[in-house]
Amino acid sequence: MAGSDERLRQVGLVQDIASRPELGSVFGLIIIVLTFMSLTSISGTFSAMWTNPIGIQAWVELAAFVGILAIGAALLMIVGEFDLSMGANIALAGHSFALLLIFGVPVVPAIFITFCELALLGFIIGTIVVRTGLPSFIVTLGFWFASRGLAVFLSQTLVNQSRLSVTEHLKPPAGGGEDPTLIDNIFAFDRAFGLPFDAEVYYFAVLVVIMALMLHKTRYGNWIYAAGGDPQAARAVGVPVNRVKISLFMLSACLACLLGILTVMTSGASDPQAGDFRELHAIAAAVIGGCALTGGYGSVIGAVLGAFIFAIASRGINFVPFIDNNLFRVMLGLLVLGAALLNQSLRNRVLKT
Amino acid sequence: MTPTIQLKGVSKFFGNIIALKDISFKAQKGQVTALLGDNGAGKSTLIKCLSGVHAPNEGAILIDGEPVRFRSPRDAAAAGIGTVYQDLALQPLMSVSRNFFLGREISKGLFLDMGTMNEITRSEMGKLGIDVADPQQPIGTMSGGQRQTLAIARAIYFGAKVLILDEPTSALGQKQQLEVLRTVNQVRDRSDIAIIFITHNDLHAKLIGDRFTFLNRGRILADGERAEIDTDNLRNLMAGGVELAELKTEFKQ
Repeated sequence: MAGSDERLRQVGLVQDIASRPELGSVFGLIIIVLTFMSLTSISGTFSAMWTNPIGIQAWVELAAFVGILAIGAALLMIVGEFDLSMGANIALAGHSFALLLIFGVPVVPAIFITFCELALLGFIIGTIVVRTGLPSFIVTLGFWFASRGLAVFLSQTLVNQSRLSVTEHLKPPAGGGEDPTLIDNIFAFDRAFGLPFDAEVYYFAVLVVIMALMLHKTRYGNWIYAAGGDPQAARAVGVPVNRVKISLFMLSACLACLLGILTVMTSGASDPQAGDFRELHAIAAAVIGGCALTGGYGSVIGAVLGAFIFAIASRGINFVPFIDNNLFRVMLGLLVLGAALLNQSLRNRVLKT
Repeated sequence: MTPTIQLKGVSKFFGNIIALKDISFKAQKGQVTALLGDNGAGKSTLIKCLSGVHAPNEGAILIDGEPVRFRSPRDAAAAGIGTVYQDLALQPLMSVSRNFFLGREISKGLFLDMGTMNEITRSEMGKLGIDVADPQQPIGTMSGGQRQTLAIARAIYFGAKVLILDEPTSALGQKQQLEVLRTVNQVRDRSDIAIIFITHNDLHAKLIGDRFTFLNRGRILADGERAEIDTDNLRNLMAGGVELAELKTEFKQ
């Protein structure tokens, strides 16, 4: 009888854990933390990196910045797409927000309008990808040029500046704060409330929880995996594959927008080079975190761990004076390759057990 | 008895190509209607007409005696047509129960109700003789026959009264082929579902078929109940009969 099938067996807890996409990045994080703990011990900077609040801020804030983008990168990779324009969209959002402030729009409407613009941009990118069938790599490569170009073009045409200072348009915080020139209450609330980390760290924490729940516990998350795993099969059972993809391009653009506005809020200016290369860092974090470039596999938690690995390695190198700074890139490259290899073998094991 | 599904003079043209011409056949609930034909006979086009992918150019499709017109696969599914394609439309990296409910998930508030979905998956698979130990395991770990059963169980659970199986045994090993035939038999025993079993394997058709329809080059070559068809001659009808018929017309010209 087919019922008592000898092929089916109980999958134990160990197996269950081994089949999680983020397994590789858990190991990676442990290795990176131990490596930098030993290296900083040798060079006598252990406490500067791991116990000093400023040292901790350095890598936690970088992890949050890259991590927010990595959430978008991971979700897009799971659905089988790419967004190279994320970094450039940070600059576009920052410039749009700053220009609106300069032209006298109050902060809250300016934030709202900028989010709408970036959501529209994401919609356009996503629609081009699903309608033309061009690889998203190519489509977003186009926007990688176009977004930053548009940002600088607009600011130079309208106010004859490429770096936009907006300190005089931002209000001081509601309750105290040491620097009265910057800041606003919504996006720089850390200063208003005297919190230890920049606002992006808290946004990051909230986003991670929401997105992880969304991906694993809701029907929309189910559709993301299905649309990336086998789009034809997903369509055959009624999953709106194109709508799922477009919505994720919109999400990715909105995450870039959040970072663009946060950067302007905390620095008081919009820099045309803001977010340069961040899209690649985010994609690296997603890959280290176990996302498959072919789609259908990966997790938000993995990308978060990947962002921490990236940030610890990136900031940690400054605490280890006897290693050349340029070696960091070599190390990061090897890390991405190693992680991709490890994740591939783990993924194959899931299917073969 | 009114046939559960009936085709009357259905034709489908693609430009100047006649993919189907004047197809008439019927399937009854509680019966397996074997649809046989060699490659290029028009089986795939016929399935697509039945499942709402193509609209026929001529003729009518009747369900329980009522003419229907499908504008999309969704229409056909809503009318009770459950199609299990050869590739099964499954996601290998997703779990058994997530596959079962993909596109029609059960949610409790904002979140998926995995408990209920796991339970239903287990019990529906159990009805077809597959004991799913862990509905959370990725479907990639199941055998080909079990996946076929999952696709069938899913179609039935979501209200199929006509179950179309597209070459369900063709990509499987011998043992698994029998597993699938056993599943088909179990579905027939429910006696509320009409099964259209598409195959070019005459042995399987002979084992499981109650009615036989032969398709050749877009036309019906023969059609009838088991008693009316020379079942020992299925293979001949599928291939040899055709050749002879063609030869005859060639000689006449």
